Amino acid sequence: MTLPAMQYDRRETTAWITRPILVMAVVFATLPLWIETVGLYQYLGVEVLIWIVFALGFNLLLGYTGLPSFGHGAFFGIGAYAFGLAQFEVWANLWFCLAAAIVVTGAFGAVTALFLAHRRGIYFALMSIAFGQIFYFIASKWTDVTKGEDGLLNIARLPADFGVAEVSIQSNTALYYFCYAVMMVLIVLLWRLTNSPFGRTLRAIKQNETRVAFIGYPVRLYKWAAFTLSCGIAGLAGGLFAMAQEGAYINIMSLQWSGTIVLIVLIGGGFVSFWGPVLGVILYFVARDILGAYTEAWLLWFGLMFVVLVMFKPDGIAGMWRGWVAPRLRGRGATTPAPRPAESRS
Amino acid sequence: MSMKAVNRRSFLKTSLLGGAAGGAALFGPWTHNRVYAAASDKPIRIGLTHDASGQFANSGQAEKRGSEMAVAEFNAKGGVLGRKIETVWMDTETNPQTGTRVAERMITRENVHFLAGAVQSGTANAISQVAQKYGCVYFNTNSSSPTESGANCHRVKFVWDGNGENFSKAAARNAINSFGNNWLLIYNDYVWGQNTNAATKKVATEYGATVMDEIAIPVGTRDWSSVLLKIQQMKPDVVAAAVGGDDFKVMRQQVHDMGLDRNPAWINNQQDWPDIFGLGADAAFGVFGTTWYHYLDLPGVPEFVKQYQEMYPTTRISVPGNVTYNGYVAMRELLRVVEEVGSTDNMKVIKALEGRVMTAKDRMQHFDAVIDANSHQVQQTIYLAEGNAKPRDDTDYFNILSWSDPEAIRSSAGDECKLESYADTPSYDQG
Amino acid sequence: MLYDLIPHIINGLALGLLFALLALGFMLIIGVMEVINLAHGSLFALGAYVALAVMVPDGGLPYAFMEPYYALPDVPRYVIALIVGPLVVAVVGAGLELCLRRTYGQDPLYGLLLTFGAALVLEEGIREIWGSSEYYLPIPRGISGGFIAGDLIYSTYRIYAAIFAAAMIGLLWLFLNRTPYGAIIKAGAHDGEMVRALGHNLSRLRLFVFAFGAALAAIAGIIMAPIWGIRPVVGVDAVVPAFVVIVLGGVGSFWGAVSAGLLVGLVVGLTAAFATDWSLLSMYLLLLAVVTFRSRGLAGKASVLES
Repeated sequence: MTLPAMQYDRRETTAWITRPILVMAVVFATLPLWIETVGLYQYLGVEVLIWIVFALGFNLLLGYTGLPSFGHGAFFGIGAYAFGLAQFEVWANLWFCLAAAIVVTGAFGAVTALFLAHRRGIYFALMSIAFGQIFYFIASKWTDVTKGEDGLLNIARLPADFGVAEVSIQSNTALYYFCYAVMMVLIVLLWRLTNSPFGRTLRAIKQNETRVAFIGYPVRLYKWAAFTLSCGIAGLAGGLFAMAQEGAYINIMSLQWSGTIVLIVLIGGGFVSFWGPVLGVILYFVARDILGAYTEAWLLWFGLMFVVLVMFKPDGIAGMWRGWVAPRLRGRGATTPAPRPAESRS
Repeated sequence: MSMKAVNRRSFLKTSLLGGAAGGAALFGPWTHNRVYAAASDKPIRIGLTHDASGQFANSGQAEKRGSEMAVAEFNAKGGVLGRKIETVWMDTETNPQTGTRVAERMITRENVHFLAGAVQSGTANAISQVAQKYGCVYFNTNSSSPTESGANCHRVKFVWDGNGENFSKAAARNAINSFGNNWLLIYNDYVWGQNTNAATKKVATEYGATVMDEIAIPVGTRDWSSVLLKIQQMKPDVVAAAVGGDDFKVMRQQVHDMGLDRNPAWINNQQDWPDIFGLGADAAFGVFGTTWYHYLDLPGVPEFVKQYQEMYPTTRISVPGNVTYNGYVAMRELLRVVEEVGSTDNMKVIKALEGRVMTAKDRMQHFDAVIDANSHQVQQTIYLAEGNAKPRDDTDYFNILSWSDPEAIRSSAGDECKLESYADTPSYDQG
Repeated sequence: MLYDLIPHIINGLALGLLFALLALGFMLIIGVMEVINLAHGSLFALGAYVALAVMVPDGGLPYAFMEPYYALPDVPRYVIALIVGPLVVAVVGAGLELCLRRTYGQDPLYGLLLTFGAALVLEEGIREIWGSSEYYLPIPRGISGGFIAGDLIYSTYRIYAAIFAAAMIGLLWLFLNRTPYGAIIKAGAHDGEMVRALGHNLSRLRLFVFAFGAALAAIAGIIMAPIWGIRPVVGVDAVVPAFVVIVLGGVGSFWGAVSAGLLVGLVVGLTAAFATDWSLLSMYLLLLAVVTFRSRGLAGKASVLES
């Protein structure tokens, strides 16, 4: 009854910068140069980066701790509102507003986590839906603050003030590079975190919560911390998204989007790989733009793909990569077989 | 009317075969070819941001049919300025996030000259912010939140539908005389509902009604039985409802089911044609507003209906309604203005649209309409209607009761509109 | 005041029976198979759409071929819809169970995710076939319209629906507790190995239970259709309350779910009458309140779903 484990080579887990991180850095650094050549557009790049940030934070819960939150879209939305309100009501400074988005969303997450930290599996999933719905309804009703379905509009892309110089991130490309910097920093930090003793404990909780508790770890505290942290990152993504859209809208808080992030992360292979969320986001957005141009039923095909994946390859794209591609790249067959879900019966 | 016709892909195909949408509608990013022709014969590209999924999928497709009718009409006459008109359509999914992305893509990648289409205000706002950033003229065809041409107005945005306040003004004035003084207000607890309710309350009290209570209904309410029981217990003469979207459909069904549709008198805000078509005249309950109806006794109306039916022989909605009408008249006016100013330059087009008077005859309505120069809302005739007890055929759901002069029902939301100056609006012309 | 309250209490209970009906199929599948069937709502919607096709000429079947059939009076057509809808959906449910088999023995999260994907596929599939338009499921004249109770008018159909729901609940209870099949199903919920040891085919049992649960979802969909209307998204409106009712009642408890349904109905009904703007939240706040103090709901037992 366990979920597949995250397994990495020790050489990787002790490093700050690994080969995949370098590949990420290069691919996304050059993306604005070639994205239009392949027929896409700059804004799509911005959105992909922001969703990668969101998905990486989400996977701290789903992939690393094994907690399926079906209400995470709400925190993304709260981050966007927090960014906008901080800008309008307090201080229109990029760093301050981003910090506000992280802290406010983290605080909402921390309170929610008090109710969720002692839940497991399905009960956790359901309670997360309930909280997501509560936040959604409040945001929809409290129109003085959130402007409801009209959206909180005219959120500015604030200049990045480095003390000595102020850099404008007004254009899509400039905003892209700002998000790129944020994402790369986050990736390195998350990579270290997930391979720290804290991260290893989360992974152990995913494998067997009861055992971890018996050993004497304060499991609830760990789960609480993972949830709060994940919400903080969702808030960061929300803040960036508010700038990208130059507004904060309620739709993202709906159940539908909370489900979408689960779908994205799982398809990418979030269960077995740190990079699963990245792969999932790229696939989702590219598929959406390409399939979406040909058929309005693209969600049908995407859903079918998801179902087939859960049935036959729940490790997602990352799992496929490990199972089929990576061993061949190494040229000496499968050295580390992709971790399979345990086949024990209930 | 077979179900096959509803299939959206087959619809798309027919519209393509009809040559209306132009080849561009289905162009994916990988097969797209840019047109590098001399400026004179380069097509004028119009980005259609009509929803095909999400809450307003139906209305989105209805207004798309209207836009495409106007485009087909002009292309049949040889285009505008001797140039063919091409449309690029992308599904905005009734979702602001998608709206933003689609608008960015339309402007930065598809190089459209103009944008048109919206039903939900959040999506409309998302598109108009992007449009304003680049300076691209955008027609909000069907979103009726008063804030659209109020607090959230933009220099590049033009709003073609009547708003919630127009409708409540039109309805309230007439209802007090006919139905009585004791009013109960119910509204969906979100921006459109709150604004519209406030407007109704103001008008109703001005005309001497007593507001017994105001009940805020959460968006997404599926069960109305408690509210309906409470309404009965309060015994109002009139229930004025500002309830929208799916909630309205569910409410309508449950009111009908309880047999409460005659007494008390119901005043509903606006009844969009795609939301009622197929449900029968029974489904139209109470008194409600609309901007157009296919049995208006005016010249041009039957021809327009025929033109629609020729272009969309297989569409489930077999006659055009207000949503298609708005899409059509908006697009037609845009193309006319481009022809008149002889250019696709945004400033020239905007200036020609501001304050533009459109005759009643031309718009198939009872009064002349004008594009308000200060709010960019089209001030137009609003019709009051009720369910039709004596329908002449199976599409004749409405009995038109009266029509209001645009001036008499002018929305005060426009006072809150502060358009960006011309200088602050980037100049935009895709050539 | 009390006099004013009575109609709302009755209405709340009627509503509660409908909530319980909504949750029956969900409960069966979760109880026996330990699968959270997130496609429950989509099966609910599909049931309504199939009934629509059976009831009205515009509902999706080839008209010319079916013409003599549509000439039938509405009562037989309605009864046929109530039979055909669940049958079709049961077949779809059985198909879903065959897909689900690959997830057995793994973390229950996989079952949840698979059915979540299936829900998406079903909803989009419905959209492809029937479009996004709203439909209205006609009901026989005898159970439509309003009736006068004191100085209030109430919906005849709601009374019918509540009685129908109560009957379904009773029948299901009798089936589970008074028939040999029910005994096997219940045994399957506790100990699959035991069922196998006793010589019953466990995989056939699971196939049957899932198909049965899907059929119950379809019945709920057909009963709710005249109240909620038929739209592709109607499934989401159904699955969330079903979920709430089950968790509130306690996973695996029949009467826990029924009483939770009634409780939710009462709470939602009364808040909708007296604090309308909080009516939708009330369901979730109730859930939080109960589950915070009784973590397995009103009558729940420990279950494998928690690990």
